[in-house]
Amino acid sequence: MGRGEESVESILRPARAAPTCLVVPMRTKRRFSVPNWNAEESIKGREKRLRASMMVSPEEHMERTFYLACTADIFDPYVPPEGDARLTSLSKDGLKQKMEKLRQTAASRLALRKVKNHDPNFSTKTFPEKAQEIFTEAHNSLANFNKQKLHSLVTERCYSEMVRGNRYKTIRWSFIESLEPPRVVHVRCHSMVNEDNLYGQVTVRMHTRQTLAIYDRFGRLMYGGEQVPKDVLEYVVFERHLVNVYGTWRMHGKIVPAWAPPKDPIIKTVMIPGPVLKPSQEYEEIKRETPEPVQMQ
Amino acid sequence: LTSGRVFPLSCIHTSASLEKFGKWEKKNRIVYPPQLPGEPRRPAEIYHCRREIKYSKDKMWYLAKLIKGMSIDQALAQLEFSDKKGAKVIKEVLLEAQEMAVRKHNVEFKSNLHIAESLTGRGHYTKQIRYHGKGMFGIMKLSRCHYFVKLVEGPPPPPEPPKTGFDQAKEYVQQLRNRTITHSL
Repeated sequence: MGRGEESVESILRPARAAPTCLVVPMRTKRRFSVPNWNAEESIKGREKRLRASMMVSPEEHMERTFYLACTADIFDPYVPPEGDARLTSLSKDGLKQKMEKLRQTAASRLALRKVKNHDPNFSTKTFPEKAQEIFTEAHNSLANFNKQKLHSLVTERCYSEMVRGNRYKTIRWSFIESLEPPRVVHVRCHSMVNEDNLYGQVTVRMHTRQTLAIYDRFGRLMYGGEQVPKDVLEYVVFERHLVNVYGTWRMHGKIVPAWAPPKDPIIKTVMIPGPVLKPSQEYEEIKRETPEPVQMQ
Repeated sequence: LTSGRVFPLSCIHTSASLEKFGKWEKKNRIVYPPQLPGEPRRPAEIYHCRREIKYSKDKMWYLAKLIKGMSIDQALAQLEFSDKKGAKVIKEVLLEAQEMAVRKHNVEFKSNLHIAESLTGRGHYTKQIRYHGKGMFGIMKLSRCHYFVKLVEGPPPPPEPPKTGFDQAKEYVQQLRNRTITHSL
Protein backbone atom coordinates (compact mmCIF):
# COMPACT_ATOMS: atom_id res chain seq x y z
CA MET A 1 0.00 0.00 0.00
CA GLY A 2 1.39 3.41 -0.78
CA ARG A 3 2.56 4.93 2.46
CA GLY A 4 4.68 8.04 2.53
CA GLU A 5 8.29 7.04 2.31
CA GLU A 6 10.55 9.59 3.88
CA SER A 7 14.05 9.89 2.67
CA VAL A 8 16.31 7.59 4.70
CA GLU A 9 19.93 8.27 5.04
CA SER A 10 21.89 5.19 4.26
CA ILE A 11 25.13 4.16 2.83
CA LEU A 12 23.56 3.14 -0.43
CA ARG A 13 21.65 6.30 -0.91
CA PRO A 14 23.49 9.24 0.58
CA ALA A 15 21.27 12.30 0.97
CA ARG A 16 23.80 14.68 -0.53
CA ALA A 17 24.03 12.99 -3.89
CA ALA A 18 20.33 12.39 -4.53
CA PRO A 19 17.59 14.95 -3.84
CA THR A 20 14.99 14.07 -1.24
CA CYS A 21 11.99 12.54 -2.88
CA LEU A 22 8.60 12.37 -1.35
CA VAL A 23 6.23 9.75 -2.67
CA VAL A 24 2.64 10.89 -2.51
CA PRO A 25 0.10 8.08 -2.09
CA MET A 26 -1.99 7.58 -5.21
CA ARG A 27 -5.03 5.39 -5.33
CA THR A 28 -4.75 3.26 -8.45
CA LYS A 29 -7.64 0.89 -7.86
CA ARG A 30 -10.65 2.32 -9.61
CA ARG A 31 -13.69 2.42 -7.43
CA PHE A 32 -17.20 2.22 -8.68
CA SER A 33 -18.72 5.60 -8.01
CA VAL A 34 -22.43 6.04 -7.77
CA PRO A 35 -23.63 7.71 -10.94
CA ASN A 36 -26.63 9.95 -10.64
CA TRP A 37 -29.20 8.62 -13.05
CA ASN A 38 -32.23 9.82 -11.18
CA ALA A 39 -31.77 13.47 -12.04
CA GLU A 40 -33.99 14.25 -15.01
CA GLU A 41 -31.98 16.42 -17.32
CA SER A 42 -34.11 18.98 -19.06
CA ILE A 43 -33.38 20.00 -22.60
CA LYS A 44 -32.15 23.38 -21.48
CA GLY A 45 -29.85 21.83 -18.89
CA ARG A 46 -28.39 19.46 -21.46
CA GLU A 47 -27.83 22.23 -23.97
CA LYS A 48 -26.13 24.31 -21.32
CA ARG A 49 -23.83 21.45 -20.39
CA LEU A 50 -22.94 20.73 -23.99
CA ARG A 51 -22.40 24.35 -24.81
CA ALA A 52 -20.06 24.67 -21.87
CA SER A 53 -17.92 21.82 -23.14
CA MET A 54 -18.08 22.78 -26.81
CA MET A 55 -15.41 24.89 -28.46
CA VAL A 56 -16.60 28.26 -29.61
CA SER A 57 -15.92 28.92 -33.26
CA PRO A 58 -17.05 31.77 -35.49
CA GLU A 59 -20.29 30.98 -37.25
CA GLU A 60 -19.61 29.84 -40.79
CA HIS A 61 -22.31 30.50 -43.30
CA MET A 62 -23.07 27.22 -44.95
CA GLU A 63 -24.27 28.27 -48.32
CA ARG A 64 -24.96 25.42 -50.60
CA THR A 65 -25.58 26.36 -54.15
CA PHE A 66 -27.91 24.09 -55.99
CA TYR A 67 -28.41 23.85 -59.67
CA LEU A 68 -31.73 23.32 -61.35
CA ALA A 69 -31.05 20.90 -64.13
CA CYS A 70 -34.66 20.03 -64.84
CA THR A 71 -38.14 21.32 -64.15
CA ALA A 72 -40.46 19.72 -61.66
CA ASP A 73 -43.42 19.09 -63.89
CA ILE A 74 -44.67 19.08 -67.44
CA PHE A 75 -45.88 22.59 -68.27
CA ASP A 76 -49.06 22.97 -70.24
CA PRO A 77 -49.41 19.26 -70.91
CA TYR A 78 -50.47 18.08 -74.31
CA VAL A 79 -54.05 16.88 -74.42
CA PRO A 80 -53.98 13.93 -76.78
CA PRO A 81 -57.09 13.75 -78.95
CA GLU A 82 -59.49 11.00 -78.06
CA GLY A 83 -59.28 7.95 -80.25
CA ASP A 84 -55.91 8.92 -81.57
CA ALA A 85 -55.52 5.74 -83.49
CA ARG A 86 -58.93 6.16 -85.07
CA LEU A 87 -60.01 9.23 -86.98
CA THR A 88 -63.07 10.99 -85.56
CA SER A 89 -62.83 14.40 -87.21
CA LEU A 90 -66.52 14.36 -88.18
CA SER A 91 -67.99 14.06 -84.68
CA LYS A 92 -68.54 16.96 -82.31
CA ASP A 93 -65.78 15.78 -80.05
CA GLY A 94 -63.47 15.62 -82.98
CA LEU A 95 -64.17 19.27 -83.90
CA LYS A 96 -63.52 20.40 -80.34
CA GLN A 97 -60.25 18.51 -80.33
CA LYS A 98 -59.28 20.07 -83.65
CA MET A 99 -59.88 23.56 -82.25
CA GLU A 100 -57.71 22.73 -79.29
CA LYS A 101 -55.11 21.30 -81.59
CA LEU A 102 -55.02 24.51 -83.66
CA ARG A 103 -54.62 26.59 -80.53
CA GLN A 104 -51.90 24.32 -79.34
CA THR A 105 -50.01 24.42 -82.60
CA ALA A 106 -49.82 28.23 -82.49
CA ALA A 107 -48.21 28.18 -79.09
CA SER A 108 -46.03 25.30 -80.23
CA ARG A 109 -44.75 27.37 -83.19
CA LEU A 110 -43.76 30.20 -80.86
CA ALA A 111 -41.99 27.85 -78.53
CA LEU A 112 -40.30 26.11 -81.45
CA ARG A 113 -38.87 29.43 -82.61
CA LYS A 114 -37.49 30.05 -79.13
CA VAL A 115 -35.95 26.61 -79.02
CA LYS A 116 -34.34 27.11 -82.43
CA ASN A 117 -32.79 30.36 -81.19
CA HIS A 118 -30.84 28.51 -78.56
CA ASP A 119 -30.30 25.25 -80.41
CA PRO A 120 -29.98 25.84 -84.18
CA ASN A 121 -29.62 22.14 -84.95
CA PHE A 122 -33.07 21.31 -83.69
CA SER A 123 -35.54 20.18 -86.29
CA THR A 124 -38.93 18.56 -85.94
CA LYS A 125 -38.04 16.13 -88.69
CA THR A 126 -34.85 14.63 -87.26
CA PHE A 127 -35.67 14.93 -83.58
CA PRO A 128 -38.20 12.05 -83.31
CA GLU A 129 -35.68 9.39 -84.31
CA LYS A 130 -33.18 10.68 -81.79
CA ALA A 131 -35.96 10.76 -79.26
CA GLN A 132 -36.79 7.14 -79.90
CA GLU A 133 -33.14 6.19 -79.53
CA ILE A 134 -32.94 8.01 -76.21
CA PHE A 135 -36.13 6.26 -75.13
CA THR A 136 -34.78 2.81 -76.03
CA GLU A 137 -31.38 3.43 -74.45
CA ALA A 138 -32.95 4.75 -71.27
CA HIS A 139 -35.15 1.70 -70.81
CA ASN A 140 -32.27 -0.63 -71.57
CA SER A 141 -30.07 1.01 -68.97
CA LEU A 142 -32.97 0.84 -66.52
CA ALA A 143 -33.14 -2.91 -67.11
CA ASN A 144 -29.37 -3.22 -66.60
CA PHE A 145 -29.33 -0.76 -63.66
CA ASN A 146 -26.69 1.36 -65.32
CA LYS A 147 -27.15 4.43 -63.19
CA GLN A 148 -24.60 6.74 -64.79
CA LYS A 149 -25.96 6.26 -68.26
CA LEU A 150 -29.52 6.57 -67.04
CA HIS A 151 -28.75 9.91 -65.40
CA SER A 152 -27.40 11.25 -68.65
CA LEU A 153 -30.41 10.12 -70.66
CA VAL A 154 -33.20 10.95 -68.26
CA THR A 155 -33.96 14.02 -66.11
CA GLU A 156 -33.90 13.81 -62.35
CA ARG A 157 -37.65 13.97 -62.03
CA CYS A 158 -38.12 11.09 -64.45
CA TYR A 159 -35.31 9.12 -62.84
CA SER A 160 -37.02 9.06 -59.48
CA GLU A 161 -40.27 7.95 -61.09
CA MET A 162 -38.59 5.18 -63.07
CA VAL A 163 -36.42 3.81 -60.32
CA ARG A 164 -38.84 3.95 -57.42
CA GLY A 165 -39.42 0.54 -55.88
CA ASN A 166 -37.15 -1.21 -58.34
CA ARG A 167 -34.09 -1.67 -56.25
CA TYR A 168 -34.59 -5.30 -55.39
CA LYS A 169 -36.38 -6.29 -58.55
CA THR A 170 -35.20 -7.57 -61.93
CA ILE A 171 -36.69 -5.86 -64.97
CA ARG A 172 -36.53 -7.31 -68.46
CA TRP A 173 -37.58 -4.92 -71.21
CA SER A 174 -37.15 -5.20 -74.92
CA PHE A 175 -38.17 -3.00 -77.80
CA ILE A 176 -39.50 -5.04 -80.69
CA GLU A 177 -40.48 -2.54 -83.36
CA SER A 178 -42.08 0.79 -83.99
CA LEU A 179 -45.52 0.54 -85.57
CA GLU A 180 -45.71 4.15 -86.73
CA PRO A 181 -42.93 6.67 -87.22
CA PRO A 182 -42.69 8.91 -84.19
CA ARG A 183 -43.57 12.56 -84.61
CA VAL A 184 -43.34 15.76 -82.60
CA VAL A 185 -46.74 16.84 -81.37
CA HIS A 186 -46.17 19.62 -78.91
CA VAL A 187 -43.42 22.11 -78.02
CA ARG A 188 -43.36 24.38 -75.02
CA CYS A 189 -40.80 26.70 -73.49
CA HIS A 190 -40.84 27.65 -69.87
CA SER A 191 -38.62 29.52 -67.49
CA MET A 192 -37.90 28.81 -63.85
CA VAL A 193 -36.84 31.32 -61.19
CA ASN A 194 -35.63 33.95 -63.71
CA GLU A 195 -37.13 34.99 -66.99
CA ASP A 196 -34.00 33.99 -68.90
CA ASN A 197 -33.66 30.51 -67.48
CA LEU A 198 -35.39 28.62 -70.28
CA TYR A 199 -36.34 24.97 -70.40
CA GLY A 200 -37.79 23.50 -73.53
CA GLN A 201 -40.22 20.59 -73.45
CA VAL A 202 -41.07 18.58 -76.54
CA THR A 203 -43.74 15.90 -76.67
CA VAL A 204 -43.20 13.03 -79.07
CA ARG A 205 -45.95 10.60 -79.98
CA MET A 206 -44.73 7.01 -80.25
CA HIS A 207 -46.67 3.91 -81.27
CA THR A 208 -44.46 0.94 -80.54
CA ARG A 209 -44.43 -2.72 -79.64
CA GLN A 210 -42.60 -3.68 -76.46
CA THR A 211 -42.29 -6.52 -73.98
CA LEU A 212 -41.94 -6.04 -70.27
CA ALA A 213 -41.41 -8.56 -67.49
CA ILE A 214 -40.79 -7.64 -63.85
CA TYR A 215 -39.44 -10.27 -61.47
CA ASP A 216 -39.43 -9.74 -57.72
CA ARG A 217 -36.59 -10.40 -55.29
CA PHE A 218 -36.88 -14.16 -55.53
CA GLY A 219 -37.05 -14.43 -59.29
CA ARG A 220 -40.80 -14.91 -59.50
CA LEU A 221 -42.77 -13.19 -62.23
CA MET A 222 -44.60 -10.18 -60.89
CA TYR A 223 -45.95 -8.45 -63.94
CA GLY A 224 -46.10 -8.95 -67.69
CA GLY A 225 -44.43 -11.67 -69.65
CA GLU A 226 -41.24 -11.90 -71.60
CA GLN A 227 -42.76 -13.36 -74.73
CA VAL A 228 -45.91 -11.23 -74.68
CA PRO A 229 -45.53 -8.21 -76.98
CA LYS A 230 -47.78 -5.26 -76.29
CA ASP A 231 -48.73 -2.38 -78.54
CA VAL A 232 -48.17 0.86 -76.74
CA LEU A 233 -49.22 4.38 -77.75
CA GLU A 234 -47.21 6.83 -75.71
CA TYR A 235 -46.69 10.54 -75.48
CA VAL A 236 -43.17 11.02 -74.13
CA VAL A 237 -41.96 14.43 -73.03
CA PHE A 238 -38.31 15.35 -73.57
CA GLU A 239 -36.72 18.31 -71.92
CA ARG A 240 -33.59 20.37 -72.32
CA HIS A 241 -32.09 23.21 -70.37
CA LEU A 242 -31.80 25.58 -73.34
CA VAL A 243 -29.64 28.22 -71.74
CA ASN A 244 -27.00 25.66 -70.81
CA VAL A 245 -24.58 25.18 -73.69
CA TYR A 246 -23.87 21.59 -72.73
CA GLY A 247 -27.48 20.66 -72.17
CA THR A 248 -28.88 17.58 -73.84
CA TRP A 249 -32.36 16.44 -74.65
CA ARG A 250 -33.43 14.04 -71.93
CA MET A 251 -36.60 12.10 -71.21
CA HIS A 252 -38.74 14.00 -68.75
CA GLY A 253 -41.98 12.12 -68.37
CA LYS A 254 -44.97 10.56 -70.03
CA ILE A 255 -48.45 11.89 -70.58
CA VAL A 256 -51.11 9.33 -69.86
CA PRO A 257 -54.36 10.31 -71.57
CA ALA A 258 -57.62 9.90 -69.73
CA TRP A 259 -58.99 7.54 -72.37
CA ALA A 260 -56.02 5.14 -72.16
CA PRO A 261 -57.00 1.48 -71.76
CA PRO A 262 -56.44 0.15 -68.23
CA LYS A 263 -53.23 -1.73 -67.55
CA ASP A 264 -53.09 -5.46 -66.88
CA PRO A 265 -53.58 -6.41 -63.24
CA ILE A 266 -50.61 -7.82 -61.33
CA ILE A 267 -50.33 -11.54 -60.75
CA LYS A 268 -51.13 -11.30 -57.06
CA THR A 269 -54.22 -11.05 -54.91
CA VAL A 270 -54.19 -7.93 -52.79
CA MET A 271 -56.24 -7.59 -49.61
CA ILE A 272 -58.12 -4.35 -49.10
CA PRO A 273 -58.70 -4.04 -45.35
CA GLY A 274 -62.30 -3.77 -44.28
CA PRO A 275 -63.75 -1.23 -41.84
CA VAL A 276 -62.64 -1.34 -38.22
CA LEU A 277 -65.55 -2.72 -36.19
CA LYS A 278 -66.51 -2.00 -32.61
CA PRO A 279 -67.31 -5.09 -30.55
CA SER A 280 -71.06 -4.45 -30.74
CA GLN A 281 -71.24 -3.88 -34.48
CA GLU A 282 -71.82 -6.41 -37.20
CA TYR A 283 -70.22 -6.21 -40.61
CA GLU A 284 -73.45 -5.94 -42.61
CA GLU A 285 -74.71 -2.90 -40.72
CA ILE A 286 -71.88 -0.63 -41.81
CA LYS A 287 -72.03 0.88 -45.26
CA ARG A 288 -69.57 -0.93 -47.39
CA GLU A 289 -67.19 1.41 -49.23
CA THR A 290 -64.17 -0.15 -50.79
CA PRO A 291 -61.34 2.35 -50.33
CA GLU A 292 -59.19 3.30 -53.29
CA PRO A 293 -56.07 1.15 -53.54
CA VAL A 294 -53.07 3.26 -52.62
CA GLN A 295 -49.76 2.55 -54.25
CA MET A 296 -47.51 0.96 -51.64
CA GLN A 297 -43.73 1.06 -51.32
CA LEU B 1 -32.21 9.06 -27.88
CA THR B 2 -31.32 10.05 -31.41
CA SER B 3 -28.61 12.67 -31.40
CA GLY B 4 -28.84 15.25 -34.17
CA ARG B 5 -26.50 18.07 -34.96
CA VAL B 6 -28.34 21.20 -36.04
CA PHE B 7 -26.46 23.49 -38.41
CA PRO B 8 -27.36 27.16 -38.80
CA LEU B 9 -29.15 26.56 -42.09
CA SER B 10 -30.40 23.16 -40.80
CA CYS B 11 -29.96 21.64 -44.22
CA ILE B 12 -27.76 18.79 -43.06
CA HIS B 13 -29.17 16.38 -40.51
CA THR B 14 -27.16 13.52 -39.06
CA SER B 15 -28.28 10.89 -36.61
CA ALA B 16 -26.67 7.85 -35.12
CA SER B 17 -29.73 5.65 -34.82
CA LEU B 18 -29.99 3.61 -38.02
CA GLU B 19 -26.42 3.55 -39.26
CA LYS B 20 -25.11 0.20 -38.17
CA PHE B 21 -26.56 -2.68 -40.19
CA GLY B 22 -25.99 -6.14 -38.83
CA LYS B 23 -25.71 -9.23 -40.97
CA TRP B 24 -29.32 -10.22 -40.43
CA GLU B 25 -30.67 -6.99 -41.89
CA LYS B 26 -28.44 -7.33 -44.91
CA LYS B 27 -29.92 -10.74 -45.71
CA ASN B 28 -33.04 -8.98 -46.94
CA ARG B 29 -31.08 -7.40 -49.73
CA ILE B 30 -30.07 -10.40 -51.82
CA VAL B 31 -31.74 -10.57 -55.21
CA TYR B 32 -32.12 -13.89 -56.97
CA PRO B 33 -31.99 -14.15 -60.78
CA PRO B 34 -35.33 -14.63 -62.53
CA GLN B 35 -36.63 -18.17 -62.53
CA LEU B 36 -37.18 -20.13 -65.71
CA PRO B 37 -40.79 -21.10 -66.38
CA GLY B 38 -40.23 -24.77 -65.63
CA GLU B 39 -38.69 -24.37 -62.18
CA PRO B 40 -40.75 -24.72 -59.00
CA ARG B 41 -41.67 -21.41 -57.43
CA ARG B 42 -39.03 -20.26 -54.97
CA PRO B 43 -40.59 -19.54 -51.56
CA ALA B 44 -40.09 -15.99 -50.27
CA GLU B 45 -37.80 -15.54 -47.23
CA ILE B 46 -38.10 -12.54 -45.00
CA TYR B 47 -35.53 -11.74 -42.32
CA HIS B 48 -36.41 -9.43 -39.47
CA CYS B 49 -34.87 -8.66 -36.13
CA ARG B 50 -35.09 -6.34 -33.18
CA ARG B 51 -32.01 -5.20 -31.35
CA GLU B 52 -31.37 -4.36 -27.69
CA ILE B 53 -34.57 -5.67 -26.14
CA LYS B 54 -34.51 -5.23 -22.37
CA TYR B 55 -34.87 -8.92 -21.50
CA SER B 56 -32.56 -11.81 -20.78
CA LYS B 57 -31.46 -13.88 -23.74
CA ASP B 58 -31.93 -17.14 -21.89
CA LYS B 59 -35.48 -16.27 -20.92
CA MET B 60 -36.20 -15.14 -24.46
CA TRP B 61 -34.84 -18.41 -25.80
CA TYR B 62 -37.76 -20.35 -24.35
CA LEU B 63 -40.21 -18.28 -26.38
CA ALA B 64 -38.09 -18.50 -29.50
CA LYS B 65 -37.97 -22.28 -29.20
CA LEU B 66 -41.71 -22.35 -28.69
CA ILE B 67 -42.50 -20.60 -31.96
CA LYS B 68 -39.95 -22.28 -34.11
CA GLY B 69 -41.61 -24.26 -36.86
CA MET B 70 -45.12 -22.97 -36.29
CA SER B 71 -47.25 -21.11 -38.78
CA ILE B 72 -47.44 -17.39 -38.14
CA ASP B 73 -51.07 -17.39 -37.01
CA GLN B 74 -50.45 -20.15 -34.50
CA ALA B 75 -47.34 -18.37 -33.23
CA LEU B 76 -49.20 -15.10 -32.76
CA ALA B 77 -51.96 -16.90 -30.88
CA GLN B 78 -49.50 -18.62 -28.56
CA LEU B 79 -47.61 -15.41 -27.85
CA GLU B 80 -50.73 -13.40 -27.15
CA PHE B 81 -51.68 -15.66 -24.26
CA SER B 82 -48.20 -16.21 -22.87
CA ASP B 83 -47.40 -14.51 -19.59
CA LYS B 84 -43.80 -13.62 -20.30
CA LYS B 85 -42.57 -10.12 -20.96
CA GLY B 86 -40.72 -11.13 -24.10
CA ALA B 87 -43.89 -12.49 -25.66
CA LYS B 88 -45.25 -9.00 -26.28
CA VAL B 89 -42.03 -7.93 -27.98
CA ILE B 90 -41.84 -11.00 -30.19
CA LYS B 91 -45.46 -10.53 -31.21
CA GLU B 92 -44.70 -6.98 -32.35
CA VAL B 93 -41.70 -8.21 -34.29
CA LEU B 94 -43.76 -10.88 -36.04
CA LEU B 95 -46.49 -8.44 -36.99
CA GLU B 96 -43.91 -6.01 -38.37
CA ALA B 97 -42.30 -8.78 -40.37
CA GLN B 98 -45.68 -9.83 -41.76
CA GLU B 99 -46.42 -6.25 -42.88
CA MET B 100 -43.02 -5.99 -44.49
CA ALA B 101 -43.50 -9.27 -46.30
CA VAL B 102 -46.80 -8.25 -47.84
CA ARG B 103 -45.73 -4.77 -48.85
CA LYS B 104 -42.17 -5.05 -49.96
CA HIS B 105 -41.34 -8.68 -50.62
CA ASN B 106 -44.28 -9.65 -52.82
CA VAL B 107 -45.86 -12.21 -50.52
CA GLU B 108 -49.38 -12.90 -51.63
CA PHE B 109 -51.17 -14.21 -48.54
CA LYS B 110 -50.12 -12.99 -45.15
CA SER B 111 -51.20 -16.18 -43.40
CA ASN B 112 -49.18 -18.34 -45.75
CA LEU B 113 -45.98 -17.76 -43.78
CA HIS B 114 -44.27 -19.98 -41.30
CA ILE B 115 -41.34 -19.40 -38.99
CA ALA B 116 -38.28 -21.18 -40.26
CA GLU B 117 -35.75 -19.84 -37.75
CA SER B 118 -36.08 -17.86 -34.57
CA LEU B 119 -32.98 -17.04 -32.58
CA THR B 120 -31.88 -14.90 -29.70
CA GLY B 121 -28.57 -13.17 -29.30
CA ARG B 122 -26.77 -11.30 -26.56
CA GLY B 123 -27.02 -7.51 -26.58
CA HIS B 124 -24.94 -4.96 -24.73
CA TYR B 125 -24.85 -5.44 -20.96
CA THR B 126 -24.51 -2.48 -18.60
CA LYS B 127 -23.83 -2.45 -14.89
CA GLN B 128 -25.81 -0.60 -12.29
CA ILE B 129 -25.78 -0.34 -8.54
CA ARG B 130 -28.40 -2.15 -6.58
CA TYR B 131 -28.74 -0.70 -3.09
CA HIS B 132 -29.07 -3.05 -0.15
CA GLY B 133 -29.59 -2.21 3.52
CA LYS B 134 -26.89 -1.08 5.92
CA GLY B 135 -24.98 0.76 3.22
CA MET B 136 -24.23 -2.40 1.28
CA PHE B 137 -24.60 -2.51 -2.45
CA GLY B 138 -24.44 -4.99 -5.23
CA ILE B 139 -23.57 -4.50 -8.87
CA MET B 140 -26.59 -5.27 -10.98
CA LYS B 141 -26.23 -6.45 -14.55
CA LEU B 142 -28.74 -5.06 -17.04
CA SER B 143 -28.96 -7.65 -19.76
CA ARG B 144 -30.30 -6.99 -23.20
CA CYS B 145 -30.90 -9.34 -26.07
CA HIS B 146 -31.54 -9.34 -29.79
CA TYR B 147 -34.26 -11.36 -31.41
CA PHE B 148 -34.01 -12.66 -34.99
CA VAL B 149 -36.73 -14.28 -37.03
CA LYS B 150 -36.88 -15.72 -40.53
CA LEU B 151 -40.28 -16.12 -42.14
CA VAL B 152 -40.67 -18.38 -45.15
CA GLU B 153 -43.68 -18.47 -47.43
CA GLY B 154 -45.70 -21.65 -47.49
CA PRO B 155 -47.33 -24.00 -45.00
CA PRO B 156 -45.17 -25.11 -42.06
CA PRO B 157 -43.17 -28.27 -42.65
CA PRO B 158 -44.66 -31.42 -41.09
CA PRO B 159 -43.00 -32.45 -37.82
CA GLU B 160 -40.48 -35.23 -38.03
CA PRO B 161 -41.77 -38.58 -36.80
CA PRO B 162 -39.93 -39.81 -33.71
CA LYS B 163 -37.24 -42.39 -34.29
CA THR B 164 -38.45 -45.89 -33.61
CA GLY B 165 -36.40 -48.74 -32.27
CA PHE B 166 -36.72 -50.49 -35.60
CA ASP B 167 -35.07 -47.54 -37.40
CA GLN B 168 -32.26 -47.49 -34.91
CA ALA B 169 -31.73 -51.19 -35.34
CA LYS B 170 -31.67 -50.82 -39.13
CA GLU B 171 -29.05 -48.08 -38.83
CA TYR B 172 -26.93 -50.22 -36.57
CA VAL B 173 -27.02 -53.12 -39.01
CA GLN B 174 -26.17 -50.77 -41.89
CA GLN B 175 -23.16 -49.48 -39.96
CA LEU B 176 -21.93 -53.00 -39.45
CA ARG B 177 -22.34 -53.74 -43.14
CA ASN B 178 -20.42 -50.58 -44.14
CA ARG B 179 -17.24 -51.78 -42.51
CA THR B 180 -14.48 -52.70 -44.93
CA ILE B 181 -11.80 -55.22 -44.26
CA THR B 182 -8.46 -53.74 -45.25
CA HIS B 183 -5.78 -55.67 -47.06
CA SER B 184 -8.17 -58.43 -48.03
CA LEU B 185 -8.50 -60.28 -51.30
